[in-house]
Formats: sequence, structure tokens, C-alpha cells
Amino acid sequence: MTKPGAALLVLALLAGGAQAANEPSLTQLLEKLERLEQRDRERQGQLDALQQELREARQEQAAVTERVIEERRQAAPVEVSQGPHRDPLDRESYRMRARALGDGAVTSGTAFNPAISVIMDGVYAAQSRREIESPEGFEGHDHGHGHGGHGGHGGIERGFNLRETEITFTASIDNYFDALFMLAIEGVSNVEVEEAYLVTNSLPAGWQVKFGRFLSDIGYINKQHLHDWDFVDRPLVSEFLFGDHGVQENGVQVSWVAPTETYTRFGIEVLQGETSGIAQFEGDERFTLVTLLPDFAIDPVTGQPVPVASGPNRIRWRDYLGMSEKSGPRLFTGFVKIAPDLGHDHAIQIGASGGISRSWQNVVTHSSGRVETWDGDAWFAGVDAVYKYDAGRSFGAGNVVLQGEYFYREIDADYASRSFSDFGTLTPTAAGGMEDLFSGTAKQDGFYLQGLYGIAPRWQAGLRTEGLGLRNRTLEPDRANNVFERASTSWRHSGVLTFRPTEFSMLRAQVNYSDFDTDDHGSVWSFLLQYNMSLGVHGAHSF
Amino acid sequence: MTRMLLGITLLLAAAVAGAQVNIAATTSNMGMLARTIGGDAVQVRVMAPPDRDAHYLEARPSMMATLRRADMVVAVGAELEVGWLPAATRGAANPRVHPGRPGYFEAAAQVSLIDEGQPADRRLGDVHPTGNPHVYFDPPRFALVGEALAERLAELDPARAEDFRARAQAFSEQVAERMPRWQERANSSNGVILYHKDADYLARLLDVEVLGYIEPIPGVPPTARHLRDLVSRMQGRPEGIIAHASYESSRGPGFIQEQLGWEVHALPTNVALDGTAKDYLDLIEAWVAALSG
Repeated sequence: MTKPGAALLVLALLAGGAQAANEPSLTQLLEKLERLEQRDRERQGQLDALQQELREARQEQAAVTERVIEERRQAAPVEVSQGPHRDPLDRESYRMRARALGDGAVTSGTAFNPAISVIMDGVYAAQSRREIESPEGFEGHDHGHGHGGHGGHGGIERGFNLRETEITFTASIDNYFDALFMLAIEGVSNVEVEEAYLVTNSLPAGWQVKFGRFLSDIGYINKQHLHDWDFVDRPLVSEFLFGDHGVQENGVQVSWVAPTETYTRFGIEVLQGETSGIAQFEGDERFTLVTLLPDFAIDPVTGQPVPVASGPNRIRWRDYLGMSEKSGPRLFTGFVKIAPDLGHDHAIQIGASGGISRSWQNVVTHSSGRVETWDGDAWFAGVDAVYKYDAGRSFGAGNVVLQGEYFYREIDADYASRSFSDFGTLTPTAAGGMEDLFSGTAKQDGFYLQGLYGIAPRWQAGLRTEGLGLRNRTLEPDRANNVFERASTSWRHSGVLTFRPTEFSMLRAQVNYSDFDTDDHGSVWSFLLQYNMSLGVHGAHSF
Repeated sequence: MTRMLLGITLLLAAAVAGAQVNIAATTSNMGMLARTIGGDAVQVRVMAPPDRDAHYLEARPSMMATLRRADMVVAVGAELEVGWLPAATRGAANPRVHPGRPGYFEAAAQVSLIDEGQPADRRLGDVHPTGNPHVYFDPPRFALVGEALAERLAELDPARAEDFRARAQAFSEQVAERMPRWQERANSSNGVILYHKDADYLARLLDVEVLGYIEPIPGVPPTARHLRDLVSRMQGRPEGIIAHASYESSRGPGFIQEQLGWEVHALPTNVALDGTAKDYLDLIEAWVAALSG
């Protein structure tokens, strides 16, 4: 700008400033300039931010692309443990669990180690009588099983019990098999392999094969472990019709999920047949009885002991019991589960199952020297149903679970009793060593029905009623009439209150009123307190 | 004869053309994304209802029946569905949707996550050491997930690859279009108290300060002491807002509201079962409006 020009502008500005109020003053103009510059800076800032964002987005995009390429490069499918088939309303237990993808670790580290979980369970028990006897007609099934043998309580003694510590390892073997190994330490020293099985993870069309040692999928509660239960103890029907561990066997299971709108699963199992209640097996072992004779005799005249000059003072009697020898597999079961889609709030699962055992054998010895044997076969059938309502409130409040099972069992057996009147010679009195020989069929059943309600977040209350031996033709021999005896029904009613501080810990109180048909016909109140804690692998969100 | 052959050919052609990719989506947001990217080429079923916390569901029969027939599962991932998806997958016996297969898609595995690598200690609550799974609260990230999903769908149905990519692109553009407006609105925010660490993604994206959480630690319901502490920490601050998911209890937020007089917003976190991309963007917009105070 030339000098005259500048002077002119200044003049004009001055003149303008002096002229009138509606013309902008110099300060106003400067302010406006400032505002414009400010806006310019802001816009520049926004522009920078947007560019930055674009760069970041591009980088992220590049990362994604890289990742996709990487995934494709590792074309071999990496199978992640999915575990065995489960049915819709099964309790989610601490079993196999998928490892999330994209851990981002540089090395595999310990990622190939099996997932480990430890579950600790303890019970305090008090009861109104010293002992709870087994219900009539169900006493003999756990002979030689190594449990506390308390009827109706699964081996819980009065006072403090370290009931069971479960240690579970799960992992994928390869892209064909997953595996689970579960040890249970009962008390402090009794170690049992609860389950140890392999299961296919990539069979097409809904098929799955499981083999090894596992809990059968019959019924609903049978494949649950103790920590899955809604009550402290196992239902009577499961404990006395099958055994302390339900149907837990070595064998093979094949199951198929149908591609239908309604969840439908079928399965068959071929099992070794060792479950005490339904497939107990003794085999034709040689039975030995040893008798010690005194080395003196009583003189019939004087009544004084007289030394015996010679002869054995230890007599050993051996014979085969004549039980039929049947090689495994001896137990065959089948099941079907159906769960229609009832929307997001309601769910129901109905199941039916049954099984045939080629062999059911039992041997009971008495201190008198009498030996009783049962030798035959057995079958069972049952139905189960579970209904769950999800109230959608937090921590299980308002949720309802209704659950029930019924099982019927028949054991067709030849009964034999041997006794020896003259121990001195150990010669059986009856020819062939058999007496009281007859055949019969034991027909027994049982059910339980339970309901649970989430009374508040994390608190659950429940009731259970159970009947055992509604039909109760037992295996007890009526030797006078050569038939099996009848017995009446045993009942138990329970109330439970469970508090789950988190998904990993649980505290529970339960009251049982047992009205069993026993020799002394006494009813018993018992009170149980339980803790159950899990360490390790993330548990699922259960009610 | 010729006619019959022609008929059969036509039928076959129709069957091939009509072959849709059967998708099982865990949440309705994932269902929305699958439909948005897949268009007519996919058939989507959503397993978790939108009005429930996907973290606390139980495996249900309908989920297993859905997974049994699915060609692909589209999940949020990062252990959000750990309580039920693995269990439902076990019940379904369908190896196509097992993790590691092309039929298993996790949104969280496609993008970087916030809070990655936290210590795996249960005393800290229901923590996710793999990172915060709630990526659907970050629309640009979610758009990237959509692009990754397009690539995955292209693997399953290569003939329609370009369609998938184009739709993913369109979704990204819709997100980008709304971003400046959201950013502008959020400028006025004085900070927010969240219930759970879920809308953290949105807060971080829009530079909104998260002042605290109603939950003392993730997955644990609020205690009186924690709420009192929270109130005393907020005293004297400019008025912020409290935002929580509609399925979360309003008692904790109500207490803070009583004490501080801040506004409480209870909002859905997922679109309706058949929600569209627009529904999703509107849902985010509702959160933005709440966060902006």
C-alpha cells in the first residue's frame, strides 16, 4: 500500500469512527478480526483432530487386515475344548470351557496346560437320633463300597465332614478329542476317579462319541457332580436305586442332537456294569470260610477240658458260589431329552431314559457262617423334567426352578442261602450246599420333586419331597414262604436356604425330616450346613 | 421330459440362489451388524434378549437348537458370553461354530480393546483380562468389526464378497457421518457416572470423563459404603449425569441422584431383536445425548 493510500485509509477510518454510532469502531473491527482468527484456529484444530482420527482408523484397519491374513495363514483349524454334550437345563458345572481367542500373548506360555479347577465341599451335620438307618428294602446295596454307610445321607457323619474335594483337569487333546479327568478325594484319604473320558469335538451332523469313565446321561441329576446340586444331599431315588455315585461307569456313549427347532437329543451307552443298584457284579469267585477249632475238647463226663492229641485246629472250606460269570459290557442304557423353545424367560426339558443290565449279583455273609447270594438281571426306566423361569432380575432374584424325577427298577434274581450246621466237619447239611433256593422279582421305585425360588439377589430357598419304595417288593427273602418280602414307603422332606456371595462360593443350610420305613420306625430330623467353593477356571453364571 | 428337466434345473438354481448363511448372533447388536453386512444373503437369529445383561444369561434350549443349525456364530466375545455360549455350543454339537473355525466370529477379536491385560484376580470382581468386551459402544470400532465380518462372510459365500464389502463400507460411512455431531454435543459434558464398565468406550471416544461407577468392582452389586464414598467424591463438582443400562437396578443410581441432584438416564444397550443400523445409531445417539448432560 502506498503512503497516500494508507493515510487515506486512516483518515477514512477516523472519519468513520467519528461519523456515526452504527458504523463499526476500530476496536470492534479488531475484535471481529480476533474472533475470525479464533474460529480459524478452532477449525484448524478440528481438522487436525479429524486427520488424526483418520490415521488411527487406517492403522486399525491395517491391523485388522493383518490379523485376517494371519488367521488365514494359520489355516489349520485350532480346536478349542468344547467338552461333552450337555442338555439345555443341565447345571453348568466347572467342566470344559472354551479359551477365548485373541489372548494376544507372544508365547503360548502356560496356555497349553490343562484348565484346572478345585472344588472344596464340607458339611456340618446334626440330627435328632444317633443314626439314620437305611430305608427298608434298600439296605444291602452298598456292601463293600467303602463308604461310611450311613443310610440316607451319602456317608455324612454327625459333626464336621470334609465331604469331597474335586480336582478337575480339562484340555483339548487335538482337533479330534477333548479330555476331562476328575478326581474326588472323599474325606482325607479315599481317592476316586470320578470321571476320566475323551470326547469327540468335530464329528459332523450333531454326533458325539464319549468314552472312558463317566457319569451316565440317564435322568437329570445323574450326570451332575455334588457341587451342582441344589440341596446338600443326593435324592434318595438316585442314591438307593442306583448308588452313592449314581450310574458312574466305564464305557462308550454315542449321542446325536437333531437339527430341529425343538432341542432333541438321543443317546445310547454301552457300559461295563458295576453300579451297585442296577448292575452289581460279583462274579463266580471262590468263597472261603476258615474255622478255628480249640485244641481241647470238653469231657462229657467230667465237664473238664481235655487236650486233643492231634488233628487240624484250623479248617478251611472253599467252594464256588455258583454265580454266573458274565463278561462286560453288562449294562446298556438309552435316553432322549426334549426341550421346546419357550422364549427367553421360560425353559423346560423333559427326558426319558432306561437301561438293561445283563447281570445283578450280590453276596452277603453273616458271622454265623451263613452266606446269601442273589444272581440275576435287572432293568430300569424313568422320566425327568426340569422347568426354569428367568425373572430377569439381578443375581437370580425371582427365578424359579422346578425339577422332578421318577425311576422304576426290577431285579429278577435267583436267591440262595447256604448255612452249615456242623462246623466241626464243615460239611453242608443240605445236598449240594444249597438251601432256601427260590427265584423272585424285586420291584422298587422312587421319585423326588423339588422347587427353588430366588427370594432375593443371591439368596435361594427351596423345598423337596421324596418318596422311595412306593412300590416296594424288596430283595429281602421271606425264607418261610420262599418269596421276597414287601416293605412300605419311606419318605423324606427337606427345606434348603442357599446364599451365593459370588459365582465361586456358596453357603447352604438344610433341614431334613426323614420318615423311613425302618426296623424301629423312627422319624429323624437332621440339620446340615454346607460350604462349596471353587478355585480356578471361571465358573458359569448359574442361578 | 425336457420340461421336467427344465423344472428340476430351475428348482436347483432356486435352491442354490436361496442358500443363505445361517447366523446365530449372541446379542441383538451383533444380529443387527450381521443383517446390515449380510443383507439378503444371511438368515439371522438372536440368542440373547436385548433387555437382559448378556453377561448373566444361562444356556437355554432355544440357543442350542439355534446353534445346532447355524453356519456361523457372531458373538461380542472377550468372555462377555462365557457364562452361556460355550455351554450352549456344547449342547449344539455343531463343530462349524467352534472357536477357531471360520464359523466362529468374535467382535472383540477384530479390534483393539481397552483395559487389556488387567490382572486375573477374582478379588477385583468379574474381570476380563482379555479386555473390555463392550466394543459395540464404540461405533467406529464397531464399523471396523463390520468390515472384518464382511471379510469373514466373503469366505463363506465368495460369490457375494463385493456385496458384503460394500455394505460394510456403507455402515462405516453412516457412522462417520454422525461422528462430528456426536463429538460436538459431547463437548458440553461435565462427566458421567456409569453403572458398569460398558459405556467406557463411548465416553473415551467422545472425551467424556467417567467420574466413577455404581458397582464397587465389576459384577458386584453396589454397597451402601461404596455409594456414600462416591457421593462424597462428587461433592463440589459441576453437575454431571448418571447413566446406566435399563436392565441394571435403579436403586444405586437413585441414591446418587437423591444425594447430588444429578440426572439419571436409564438406556437400552442393545437394539430390538430386529433392529436396523439406523436403530443402532439412534441408540448410540441417545447415549450421546445423555452423556452430554
